[in-house]
Amino acid sequence: MKWTSIILVAFISTSVPAQEVKELPRTNRFADFTATIGASQQTLAASYVYNWRVGKKRKFELGLGVRNTAYFGVKKDFWTAPADVARGSSVPFIVVVSEQKTENWDTLTVQRPFTNSLNLSANFGYHISRKLYAGFNIDLIGFTVGRTGSAIFTSNGTTRTEPEAKPVPFNLLLTGDLDLGSLNSEFFLYYHLNKLWSVKGVYQFMFVEYKTTNVKQVAPDGTVVDRFRNKANNGGIGVAYHF
Amino acid sequence: MKYIFVLGVTALLFVSCRKEASTTPGTDPVDSLNQTILYMGSFVNGPWGSVSGQARVLRSSNGTLSLALVNVNISNGPDLYVYLSKEIQPINFISLGKLRSTSGNQVYDIPGTPDFTQYKYALIHCQQYNHLFGSATLVQ
Repeated sequence: MKWTSIILVAFISTSVPAQEVKELPRTNRFADFTATIGASQQTLAASYVYNWRVGKKRKFELGLGVRNTAYFGVKKDFWTAPADVARGSSVPFIVVVSEQKTENWDTLTVQRPFTNSLNLSANFGYHISRKLYAGFNIDLIGFTVGRTGSAIFTSNGTTRTEPEAKPVPFNLLLTGDLDLGSLNSEFFLYYHLNKLWSVKGVYQFMFVEYKTTNVKQVAPDGTVVDRFRNKANNGGIGVAYHF
Repeated sequence: MKYIFVLGVTALLFVSCRKEASTTPGTDPVDSLNQTILYMGSFVNGPWGSVSGQARVLRSSNGTLSLALVNVNISNGPDLYVYLSKEIQPINFISLGKLRSTSGNQVYDIPGTPDFTQYKYALIHCQQYNHLFGSATLVQ
């Protein structure tokens, strides 16, 4: 009986026609346009993303992209940026959870900030279902150009005009307040309308940095600071075209 | 795409619009008996606007200081502020707040007790575009 069962199972398994396995493509390439809005600030971003699908069911994606982000606002406060002045630790990753030394923070209120950043981005995502795709992306390295304009510098109750505040030109992800320049990141959820188009909702967290030309902060330890950061929290929507 | 475009245009409008000061003349009392005039000066036009009238530093009976703009007439503009400044251009200054009206009498509280031998200018300044509308040199 035992042998009969084995032979029967072997026969069935060889005689059943091969199942048609519909695999997801190995890559996901798309162009993406996103608009976000927050408190007196907005961004418009355009990116091209090349993701590889990984995992047994190819539900995970990771890849690289190129993103251009335009940030503009009105009367935005930028705070002391260098981690060794602004935070309790300047060790990569630990800086993220280290204490904020708010007593060392001075404020640069940029009247009409406008930056345009071109960055290489890292992208991670997971296909929740056939229609839904969620994930995270973050800028890694790039350059920023933007408007030089006036700002009000406030330090320990004194107020000065900085007529030539300008965007920090070089962007680099180093984790937390160690970051340099203007870096965009998004938590996103895509909804696929069809094979070519999808729409998305995003929560955006963006660092934008301006540097002063004439007015400098002198920290308690004597460090001269000319770099100030705005951390923008925005919500937005977007659309993507899949190639 | 249509909605993205609409959102973008709306965002641009949001950025470009700034509220100007009220044109309703201010009616703050500037000649109260229990106020002493410490310093005063007449406004002259700056490079970007026109300001006429007087600035007065007042001390009330309880010692608090204020800056009174008396019979002023100011050309309207975006984001106008009232400063006490060390220089005739607002390099080092104390902001007394947004200009409330482009005409009439207005009183602005002065925080602390600034040294008026240093802070000797009252300014009307467009902060957003860094344009000086007018200044008054304060003398005893």
